[in-house]
Amino acid sequence: MPAPLHPLTSLTAACCTAAVTTAAGSWPLSVAVSAAAAVLAVRAGAGRRVLTAAAAVLLPLGLSLLMLHGLFFPEGRTVLAAWGPARVTAEGLAFALEAGTRTGACVLVLLLFSFTVSAPDLVAALNVRGLPPQFSFVLASALTLLPAVAGRLGAIRTAQESRGLVLGGGALARLAAVRVQMVPLVLGLLEESGHRAQALEARGFGRPGPRTSYREVPDPPAQRRLRAVLLVLAAAAVALRLGASWPAAGLL
Amino acid sequence: MSQQPLTLPATGPGDGSAAGRPAGTTTAQRNRRLLELAGAAAIAATYLFLVLTQPADIANGPASAAALVALGGFLLGAILLVAAALPVLPTSTLVLMPVALVLNVVLGQLMGTTGLPFYLDAIGTVLIAVLAGPAAGAATGALSTIVWSFFNPTVLPFAAGAALIGFLAGLAARSGLFRRFYLAPVAGFVTGILAGVVSAPIAAFVFGGTAGLGTGAVVSAFRAMGDTLLAAITKQALISDPMDKAIVFAIAALLVYALPRRTTFQFAFVRRFRVLAGKTPAVTPDA
Amino acid sequence: MTGAGPAAAVGTHDMLAARINSFSFHGDAAPALRNVEFGVRAGTLTAVLGGSGSGKTTLGKLLAGWHRPGHSGTLAGWLELAGERLEFRGGGDDPRINPAGWSDRVGYVPQDAAAMLSTVRSTVAEELAFGLENRGTPRPDMLREVGRIADLTGLAAFLDRDPATLSGGELRRLAIACAVITEPQVLVLDEPLASLDAAGVIVVRDLIARLTKAGTAVVVLSQSADGLARSAARWLVLDGGTAAAGGRPRELLRSPELARSGVVLHAVTHTAPAVRAGLPAGAAPVLELDGLGFCYPGAGGAAGERPLLRDLHLRVRPGEVVAITGPNGAGKSTLLRHLNGLLQPLAGEVRVQGRSIASLPTGRVAAAVGLLFQHPRDQLFERTVLREVGFGLRRLRGREAGAAADAALDAVGLSGEAGTHPAELPASKQRLLALATALARRPAVLALDEPTVGLDRHGLAVLRRAIDAEVARGAAVILVTHDPLFASSTAHRVLVLEGGALREP
Repeated sequence: MPAPLHPLTSLTAACCTAAVTTAAGSWPLSVAVSAAAAVLAVRAGAGRRVLTAAAAVLLPLGLSLLMLHGLFFPEGRTVLAAWGPARVTAEGLAFALEAGTRTGACVLVLLLFSFTVSAPDLVAALNVRGLPPQFSFVLASALTLLPAVAGRLGAIRTAQESRGLVLGGGALARLAAVRVQMVPLVLGLLEESGHRAQALEARGFGRPGPRTSYREVPDPPAQRRLRAVLLVLAAAAVALRLGASWPAAGLL
Repeated sequence: MSQQPLTLPATGPGDGSAAGRPAGTTTAQRNRRLLELAGAAAIAATYLFLVLTQPADIANGPASAAALVALGGFLLGAILLVAAALPVLPTSTLVLMPVALVLNVVLGQLMGTTGLPFYLDAIGTVLIAVLAGPAAGAATGALSTIVWSFFNPTVLPFAAGAALIGFLAGLAARSGLFRRFYLAPVAGFVTGILAGVVSAPIAAFVFGGTAGLGTGAVVSAFRAMGDTLLAAITKQALISDPMDKAIVFAIAALLVYALPRRTTFQFAFVRRFRVLAGKTPAVTPDA
Repeated sequence: MTGAGPAAAVGTHDMLAARINSFSFHGDAAPALRNVEFGVRAGTLTAVLGGSGSGKTTLGKLLAGWHRPGHSGTLAGWLELAGERLEFRGGGDDPRINPAGWSDRVGYVPQDAAAMLSTVRSTVAEELAFGLENRGTPRPDMLREVGRIADLTGLAAFLDRDPATLSGGELRRLAIACAVITEPQVLVLDEPLASLDAAGVIVVRDLIARLTKAGTAVVVLSQSADGLARSAARWLVLDGGTAAAGGRPRELLRSPELARSGVVLHAVTHTAPAVRAGLPAGAAPVLELDGLGFCYPGAGGAAGERPLLRDLHLRVRPGEVVAITGPNGAGKSTLLRHLNGLLQPLAGEVRVQGRSIASLPTGRVAAAVGLLFQHPRDQLFERTVLREVGFGLRRLRGREAGAAADAALDAVGLSGEAGTHPAELPASKQRLLALATALARRPAVLALDEPTVGLDRHGLAVLRRAIDAEVARGAAVILVTHDPLFASSTAHRVLVLEGGALREP
């Protein structure tokens, strides 16, 4: 790539790819998109993280789809095998394949975006575009808080074990243990957020009027044009699909 | 750089706790109201459209048009709701949103360790709604879903459902349902029914099924009886969601009553609508 | 000015002044502050001194617009800033403070410096610029200002670092820099020297001197009459939420008001004997560490695996107090975590009352070893102080549980707070409550991690009494502290942890 991708370019690319894949609804395209996303993720050095996160989402979904449509598909006509109420139909398997690959492609493309984008750049780019600063605050702050809170939960757990709290036992005992861990966590987070609100107000966060940005994210004109083209393509794909199936969808 | 005045003009309510007050006369307020209505209308219209025009024959594969309509309509609705609520939320509420998201994730995982077969992924949203009101709850639900989709893109289409949960939790708190501990799960149950019904078309048309094996098995059972996919998923949602939300509301109530009074009373919404019972009632159960 | 009462604190040329008849938080029955008058002049340092829970943080936040009347609580009185006086009666028609405008003129740095950070900026430079961005400052001005303030606060070398990776002292400097970058005329600092090492103290004191010289009115809120406080032009002593005394440090240093307050006076508190006498003889050790070795996985670095603990031996007998000191990062807290099995040694063995704890879960070891952490709040989770101390006692003490809880609360002076929510206690009392939860279980070994941090003078006295009582009962006490004075005056033995092993100082 000649210039690093502007965060909005990669965001647009991801969203447009997802939209086009969904509109196309053809499993070979979905598989190709998934493979391309996986390759790009590996080349960007985020392969493991993207694939782990995708697997955590897609494996249960895929198995669920396979069980649901593979065994029970009343609309299916080509019966391949049947055990009692369960019937394996070609249509059902095709449906599972189609739905699974479509979701898989979208998930991989969007994860590729979120695991390769630089969050500070994205926030700066969104702010410059005039998005409310509140939105980028929630986004960036959540990304900062998540790992911190996981560490905090560990600290609470060790502190409480030292007080004689024994983890384990039946579901009720574990529920009680969870409550005991939740209270300091929630209390601490709420109190901190109260302090943070005061600090943000004092630093002018609630102030009306225009803002400026310290961080500069270069946005070459070529990428602006690319984004426009991608948006037009996606819009065309969606319009084609809606136009094609509108009458077929059994409109009132 | 002009210096700001030391005081704010003396109009408007104290600190604008975004508790859906009757619309004022300024155009800004009217525009926000319009955005809110448009958002709600987009969600309702999408739902009606999907239910009324659901493809009769899905044998040729999942309907792409329905998926696009479901995605577009629900996302648009969620974004409109966020756009209406976000700019007027006070900073003290805004800082709670990342916290809600983190709590949704972390407490959901923590509850997962108890082995209960529920998702329990809305505890933070409900907690914030109880403390800061329906508008904050709706914005929290939608926004935290959008941010969480950075890690799990499949939750993105459910943003509208999450907004509905936050909104209804805030309404329940405002009407005093959290003053009696046994009423909170009831409110959660009703919320779960509505949220489940609204979210079912997304599962059906966008994903073609449900994300978990347990829920998938329930849907399979209804399919085996010959239900359409949407009907089967809606029935499954009506079985699991109300129970799930009843538990979530109960946990949120438990947490709210475990907080010190000074923490809960710093929220104008809690003070104004007397969301919580007095200090020493026998309503807080012992775990 | 001799005998100047609190009422004399407000002058005519004050940059910021306040008269607080009463201020109470929403939902609280009693006011947090009452009858306080306060004023600060340009280019001077003022110290507000008081023990834990005396109301100094509340006062500081009120002055700085962090607590806004009507929003955070109800104020009766007035605030005066830049010649503009705002009267508050606690009703709906009170003026509403504009936090953005107020903070242009008054900056505040909380004790927990991390609370100052926006959490949404990824480098120190951007964090510094956050306040300027919100004011719409043009980018060239912003770059210049960030450079200037980084030079002033000694942060120039850290501009590209992630704020989350800064040390305590660096973080405090960043927080101060964030507050002064918009050039407020008044700067309120809450415990600016707390938990800083000697080098950090020098940098922060130097920064304060430079700011006052440049005309800023600096207010320091402190629990201790330390060197910084003694260099102030004026003091205000708070006790129990009200002004006990005001005037020049020299006049107040020996005043009964200061002596009654919880303020720590380093020269005076050192009353215990230098080394505790009367080591119990002969008894079998209750805690034995045998050849302990430990290193965190992956913490070796490129320079080879240097273990944090290496062949460490320690024997502690019943009724003995051992203090462990050592530089930051030497592994003191890590060592304590081995005593109850939170960490398992890679080599060697930990024996409590003669039995190895290697295979026991921490929750079980806790019956014999009470470990108190640096952050007491992580350990507290109940709705009242009494329930907190009583948690899990029935299983351990049976019928005596109620009496044991009461006795433990009495030992730390919290009997009067039995019905309070632990989170509503001031920091000092939270720490004592965490101590009480350990005392109630009558552990054979009591391990304390930095027990003096955040304690005011009353709290320190209680801590000493509690340790004495534990010694009399025959428990072994191991404490990790950075306070050499406390170590030498409390312990039978003081050991230094350095290079992975313990040695005599």
